[in-house]
Amino acid sequence: MKNQSPSSTIPIQYVEIDEARCNGCVLCMKACPTKALRVHEGRVAQVVGTCVDCGECIRVCPRGAIRAVTTCPEDLDKAKYSVVSAATVLYSQFGEDVAPNDILLGLKGMGFSYVHDQSYTNEMFSVAIELYIQENRKKEHTPWPLISPVCPVVVRLIAARFPELLHHILPLSAPREIVAREAKLRLSLKHGCDESDIKTLHISPCPAKMICITDPLFHTHSYIDAAIGISDIYCGLKKSIKEVDEDKVLHHSGGIGLGWGLSGGEISGIQMNCLAVSGLQDTINYLEKIDMGRFSNIDYIEFRACAEGCLGGLFTVADKYQAKRYLQQLVRMYGVERRVKYEYVRKLYENGWFFAEKTRYAEQPALTKKALSERIERQKRVEKILARLPKKECGHCGSPDCATFAQDVVEGRASLDDCLFSRSKGTKQVKSKEKR
Amino acid sequence: MPQLQKRFEVEPRDFVRAGEASLQVQRMLRAIGFEEDIIRRASVCAYEAEMNIVMYGGKGEVVLTINPDEIELQVNDDGPGIEDIGAALQEGFSTASAEYREMGFGAGMGLPNIKKNADSLDIRSGGSHGTRLKIVFYFTGEPR
Repeated sequence: MKNQSPSSTIPIQYVEIDEARCNGCVLCMKACPTKALRVHEGRVAQVVGTCVDCGECIRVCPRGAIRAVTTCPEDLDKAKYSVVSAATVLYSQFGEDVAPNDILLGLKGMGFSYVHDQSYTNEMFSVAIELYIQENRKKEHTPWPLISPVCPVVVRLIAARFPELLHHILPLSAPREIVAREAKLRLSLKHGCDESDIKTLHISPCPAKMICITDPLFHTHSYIDAAIGISDIYCGLKKSIKEVDEDKVLHHSGGIGLGWGLSGGEISGIQMNCLAVSGLQDTINYLEKIDMGRFSNIDYIEFRACAEGCLGGLFTVADKYQAKRYLQQLVRMYGVERRVKYEYVRKLYENGWFFAEKTRYAEQPALTKKALSERIERQKRVEKILARLPKKECGHCGSPDCATFAQDVVEGRASLDDCLFSRSKGTKQVKSKEKR
Repeated sequence: MPQLQKRFEVEPRDFVRAGEASLQVQRMLRAIGFEEDIIRRASVCAYEAEMNIVMYGGKGEVVLTINPDEIELQVNDDGPGIEDIGAALQEGFSTASAEYREMGFGAGMGLPNIKKNADSLDIRSGGSHGTRLKIVFYFTGEPR
């Protein structure tokens, strides 16, 4: 622990590496945005430091050696998990002939007692964002731009690499949490039972949304009891949709709430100065710029770690760009005019309905001059080693790049001999000396 | 006393690489693990100063010097210099061309922003020396 930089305190728990399949190539290590992976002994990828559950390593591994761990028990008891809510991406997964309402009925047909449509809450949430911006633009100390709290990878990335920016995250609960909270409240009143007896299941397009249930990170509490990937439920749901013979209406939202799976969907209903940024690399670039004080003229930025938004999540099944087209069709079909009642949402907002109960900011231990001196000394050693490295960034040493390798050497995780280039340079020098 | 120095070159009118030097400054301070507040203030100043070189200056450099009790940014360029430093320190004062304004720059917040975020700022400009900024941030071990 002593070698970790002050912000890297989030442990990796949700990525599993299959040692038998891993051949020790460097692709996952190169893809990792927090430089958490190392390849040692030519075979197994090991984990050092902070994982933000973006799933890039899973995406790039050609051998399927890395998998996301789900929080959902294998023998899912649907009667016990009485409420199910789905990310709106689910509506894009079954082609253009299947309407959102069919999918919700299909879920009901699978045995879930209550099925909740999240898209309506999404639209309410976009009104709440607007209200928050209006209220806080006048205040001096609100940090701008505000950052969307919706994508858990982005929140974790900020906590790990840009803790100062945690203050930029909108202090509202993500709609998936509001849906679960309200379902628990209403159903416990209806059945006269305790809220904890109502179990909620979320159908997620990505592993990160599973993880933020057990480790909510920024918001300190989650109302969702378990999450399951779209891919885990896909076949069963497809079959159930075909067998639907109910004609109940479960879906009420318009296009604003339905489009949330698309990059730009979250901000589509907000009449403010907003940006939508998607993809991990662009997200990091923008966070770095915000950290330099840029974009303070922007009100709100919707970040999605996956390119194109949640459609690109690891647990989606349908082809990303076809799914994008279906979602765009749905948005057009249901229309982009606001369906929620503004005054009603404003009252809820004023009563604190949208606000997260508690948000957690980075706690920085007090830094002494002595500790700082040691860190500067350490960085000087890193720079000295880095100056001797070839900067070919090949990854052969087992660290993702030369700068990280230099750091690993200083921290005792790697030996300078691991670098192919400095090793061969060393032997050449020895040989030429021998000749003389 | 530990002292770490890094120098980054800045090319005038190179808008593709603009911001790169300040990004390197930010990454270095983060790698060492300074407090977030000081990293942020230093990055804001580095960026504003770097953009001033890119837009108005000549060939320039950002020199970062790190000590346990202070971070110093020396930003030099051999451009035409600042005609009226007092005016340039006023919010909203700008000599930016229409073209720069169209690009989203030239709001007249550069030097004022540096002044606001730095603990000490020294500007020398004029004659054949170009412009030399010395921006210092003190680390006291106590919240600012």
